[in-house]
Amino acid sequence: MAPTPASSLRIVIVAPETLNPDPSDVEAGWEAERSRSLRIGLLQGGYDVVAVLPADVFLPDRLAQIQPDMIIVDAESQARDTLEHVVVATRDARRPIVLFTDDDDTSHVKDAIAAGVTVYVVAGLAPERIKPVLDVALARFQHEEALRRELAKTRTQLQDRKLVERAKGILMKRYGCDEQQAYERLRKAAMDKGLRIAEVAQRLIDVADVIG
Amino acid sequence: MNDNSSLKAALSRRTVLKATAAAAAGAGGMVPGLQSAVWAQGSDKPEKEEVRIGFIPLTDCASVVMASVLGFDRKYGVKIVPTKETSWAGVRDKLVNGELDMAHVLYGLIYGVHLGVSGPKKDMAVLMSLNNNGQAITLSKKLADKGAVDGASLAKVMAADRRDYTFAQTFPTGTHAMWLYYWLASAGINPFKDAKVITVPPPQMVANMRVGNMDGFCVGEPWNHRAIMDGIGITAVTSQEVWKDHPEKTLGTTADFVRKYPNTCRAVIAAVLEASKWIDAGLQNKLKMAETVAAKSYINTSVDAINQRILGRYQNGLGKTWDDPNHMKFFNDGAVNFPYLSDGMWFLTQHKRWGLIKEHPDYLAVARQVNQIDLYKEAAAAAKVSVPTQVMRSSKLIDGVVWDGKDPAKYADGFKVKVG
Repeated sequence: MAPTPASSLRIVIVAPETLNPDPSDVEAGWEAERSRSLRIGLLQGGYDVVAVLPADVFLPDRLAQIQPDMIIVDAESQARDTLEHVVVATRDARRPIVLFTDDDDTSHVKDAIAAGVTVYVVAGLAPERIKPVLDVALARFQHEEALRRELAKTRTQLQDRKLVERAKGILMKRYGCDEQQAYERLRKAAMDKGLRIAEVAQRLIDVADVIG
Repeated sequence: MNDNSSLKAALSRRTVLKATAAAAAGAGGMVPGLQSAVWAQGSDKPEKEEVRIGFIPLTDCASVVMASVLGFDRKYGVKIVPTKETSWAGVRDKLVNGELDMAHVLYGLIYGVHLGVSGPKKDMAVLMSLNNNGQAITLSKKLADKGAVDGASLAKVMAADRRDYTFAQTFPTGTHAMWLYYWLASAGINPFKDAKVITVPPPQMVANMRVGNMDGFCVGEPWNHRAIMDGIGITAVTSQEVWKDHPEKTLGTTADFVRKYPNTCRAVIAAVLEASKWIDAGLQNKLKMAETVAAKSYINTSVDAINQRILGRYQNGLGKTWDDPNHMKFFNDGAVNFPYLSDGMWFLTQHKRWGLIKEHPDYLAVARQVNQIDLYKEAAAAAKVSVPTQVMRSSKLIDGVVWDGKDPAKYADGFKVKVG
């Protein structure tokens, strides 16, 4: 098979432990079948499935070791909450989690994606359809991550500006200087100490709170 | 169309209808079915009659289940469809995307989603509190054999025998995480520095402890009692000892749902209130409830695992037995169900304490936004349930610190053991 860009994407699948379930358990048999066809689809799509992990208490540790680019999990699994822990713990280095669900009401899936929920993908897809779905999921995730970073940056800038304004105010009041001079004092202190201006401003405000 | 004015008009019509209902009830005593007639013909008619309510198989899903089983929902013109869910993350996603209308859900989870702690940020609503008390922290039998049977002795054992100690809770922003962290911290153990915390689904707690994967866990019943029955764990502390009459599960939904279907919300609150009242009314009702929720379609466990602690009969797994007056309560004359603003704010203070949120939120404003006090009061009036006069309440927790909703930022920052 010709190598595709997807081959660089390292995927971990979180799946029920057995591919050979109790033959009397119809539901488990169906789940195993679905899980198998999913893996086949991923391999055919050129993805690098680095591990298939059971949903146990060691999942977070193993994910931390493997550092996959994408996690695929059964939506109706109790493993969801364990993964939630991973999501919270690694908030600053997020990765997409794709969920294969039995719910074939596509409007729900669409709503979920629009709401920014981890991507839901309807289960039972033909193997050849899995790749385009994952590509869309990944593109969506990357788009959202970009927005999220942009938002975080804007928030920090706004917060920084507020701090600098307050610090300038303190300096102006204390030394009777004008705004430009106050700003220059802050900037010099920042350069001398190798800090960001906002950090110097924060320190100044903290000290001013104590001294009064 | 001005939403606000039409809502006001609807409310004033409500008042008239309520007065009529009260007068009729006063004259003729309780007339079964009267209430439903009133709700159905007036502007109070639920906008959405079938309500899908998600629940996780735990004892405290009982009032939602019983409201449906006993038909209290029909009395108020709605049909509750209890929907069994496998994970809190699943409940959250389904609430957010509208697949579920409401859910039996961890108090802290609703606030976590409202603030966007992990993943999606969505305006959420707490319609009522479903229960107080009835969770616990279990330590492994192995640890107990070494002398760790409560907070102080656990701290000693952990200091003497240094290794990785693993404790499990059920959801990062949830109630069990907060009880576990609070209790560990009250014994001087920092859950994030001195221990390893993991998230494990409730039904898997006991199995994991059995094979030695964890030293302790905090979870709702019946799983703590189950650990004792199986001889693998002991109850180190009950959640009511951490905080007597603490808030636990709520009836949660999204702010959008409340805006769109206020009458449906009122109807469901009233129905669940009646079910709560029914459960707490006596021994027979509790046993009937235990039998119902133990079934495969709900919790799927033996009745024995549920009914002891429901009745307040506790054992700790080390030979101590006691009758706990502060066992799991569903009603307690309505004191359980009122969505106190201070309860919601408490979870925010703990989220801040443990670094789940980075900045102090506007605690009071968020709680006012989330907890639907007006809606609750109207529903309580319809169900003839008394409502407390204060929106805050005062409690002393296990470490002796009082929480009364005043100065939440100072409270959150005031703990010695915290993150950051």
